Amino acid sequence: MGLLALLRKLKSSGDRELRILLLGLDNAGKTTLLKSFASEDISHITPTQGFNIKSVQSSGFKLNVWDIGGQRKIRPYWKNYFENTDVLIYVIDSSDKKRLEETGEELNELLEEQKLHGVPLLIYANKQDLPNRSVAAEITDYLNLVNVKDRKWQIQACSALTGEGVKDGLEWAMKQMSSSKGKKK
Amino acid sequence: MKLKRFLLRYYPPGIILEYEQGGNIKTKSIDLLDLKPETDVDAVVDEIARKEALITASKTEQVRKLIGRLQEKLALKDDHHFYLFKVLRAHILPLTNVAFNKSGSSFITGSYDRTCKVWDTASGEELHTLEGHRNVVYAIAYNNPYGDKIATGSFDKTCKLWSFESGKCYHTFRGHTAEIVCLSFNPPSTMIATGSMDTTAKLWDIQTGQEVASLNGHSAEIISLSFNSSGSQLITGSFDHTVMVWCVNSGKRLHTLIGHKAEISSAQFNYDCSLIATGSMDKTCKIWETNHGTCIGTLRGHEDEVLDVAFDMTGQYLLTASADGTARCYNAVTHSLISKFEGHEGEISKITFNPQGTSVLTASSDKSARLWDPETGECKQIFEGHTDEIFSCAFNYEGNTVITGSKDNTCRIWR
Repeated sequence: MGLLALLRKLKSSGDRELRILLLGLDNAGKTTLLKSFASEDISHITPTQGFNIKSVQSSGFKLNVWDIGGQRKIRPYWKNYFENTDVLIYVIDSSDKKRLEETGEELNELLEEQKLHGVPLLIYANKQDLPNRSVAAEITDYLNLVNVKDRKWQIQACSALTGEGVKDGLEWAMKQMSSSKGKKK
Repeated sequence: MKLKRFLLRYYPPGIILEYEQGGNIKTKSIDLLDLKPETDVDAVVDEIARKEALITASKTEQVRKLIGRLQEKLALKDDHHFYLFKVLRAHILPLTNVAFNKSGSSFITGSYDRTCKVWDTASGEELHTLEGHRNVVYAIAYNNPYGDKIATGSFDKTCKLWSFESGKCYHTFRGHTAEIVCLSFNPPSTMIATGSMDTTAKLWDIQTGQEVASLNGHSAEIISLSFNSSGSQLITGSFDHTVMVWCVNSGKRLHTLIGHKAEISSAQFNYDCSLIATGSMDKTCKIWETNHGTCIGTLRGHEDEVLDVAFDMTGQYLLTASADGTARCYNAVTHSLISKFEGHEGEISKITFNPQGTSVLTASSDKSARLWDPETGECKQIFEGHTDEIFSCAFNYEGNTVITGSKDNTCRIWR
């Protein structure tokens, strides 16, 4: 097949690989979202100790999603997973108004991280199925997202439980990669 | 202007004039590309004396002698029979490309094992292992004719510049966002060009280690590139079916060669860089005129993808190698078919002339390399022994040593 064939194989092993880092406070719904990406059963999900990784195929992309536990004692370990991230997904429990400040602080710290510099940010305003949730616009204001100017960002209202909005968010994430040529496997 | 001395160049035939102008030593070459053993020497000398002010009446006798020596060299019969000299088993994974330095005293091998190795041709001893890449070392080159530096391009997206003498890494060029699959030093050896699967080619300054220019324009992977002989232009061949001609100084695109109907496999200049030959997966080879970027001929006949093309040193002949298992030799000027090379039992992925232009070497997936007579198409010799397909092959300058690199993790020296 020759060396040229190897290059063609390299090219046509087709699926671009995307490393997605899924972060957010505990109980924001990260693992539920991850399972929702993979169309898996979401009826029994317990707080994540450590992390989950899943590879999901989606419209020509292989998404390697790293879901890191959100509990306070685990958060210091987030930084171990920053390297080579293509898209950062930050999940917020839109119904938990008491912790909006805490989630805003954690997000700001992430945005300061050198290793995540310029990495596109997708925020899922999750749990939109609950009655007392804040809408995406309110969260945008609260987190002062308009001031995020060093990267592309998008806020997506969703419900990991019903699946609503989940796909739209992922499509945005993949679009970021097609425009900047994702890495190939 | 004062002529200081003559230098003889055998391949392609020529005489280099070293002269003094304003206190500086300069050189210029008189190319004798169509010199044959039977050419009338007096006519050649007269023409040179008429055209070249540096050749005064007192110098013509010397020029006559030099031409005589070139003709003697050209008249040497090429009946060299190669035998297997050494099997080098130093890589632990398949080889990618191989390359000689100018004199052929050493050569380099790239490998999937993430290293590039530097070898002494005469002894088969390993001189250095160039370690540091984090993925396949795919593209490799000496800065010929100097040969004091080596460049390696890797699937790790970086290119590294090394000292031939010490094996130390001078620079790591970072900036590509995908695998580097082709590279070249510019002729004065001040710059390196790299081509990448990220669709761009980049120019790097050897001294500073900085990126000089990024050549953006292709819409798919760049898999072949080369400089013209002055280093003022660069051509890039791409999977987007086109070849682009770039001005090295400005980084601007001069021409886009559009016409192939499938991916480009190889793009090469002829000796005086007036022509560009391109091979394509569309089963054809096209010949283009460099100045205007126009296609002046399409060579059809292969039944499958054209995987490699190569001019001889003088630029008078053109070779094509195909996935159909055959290769062909054409007259580069008239585009007429001279010979067909038939016998391989698998696709031919590499083809090259010896510097003398008297033999053609092909590397195939049938685990053999073969030597052919370009005039008759007759197979002169089969190099057997590799236990897997051969990815790369090369002649030294003298044309009396061949190296082959294979998927079987070995490199073989034949002489």
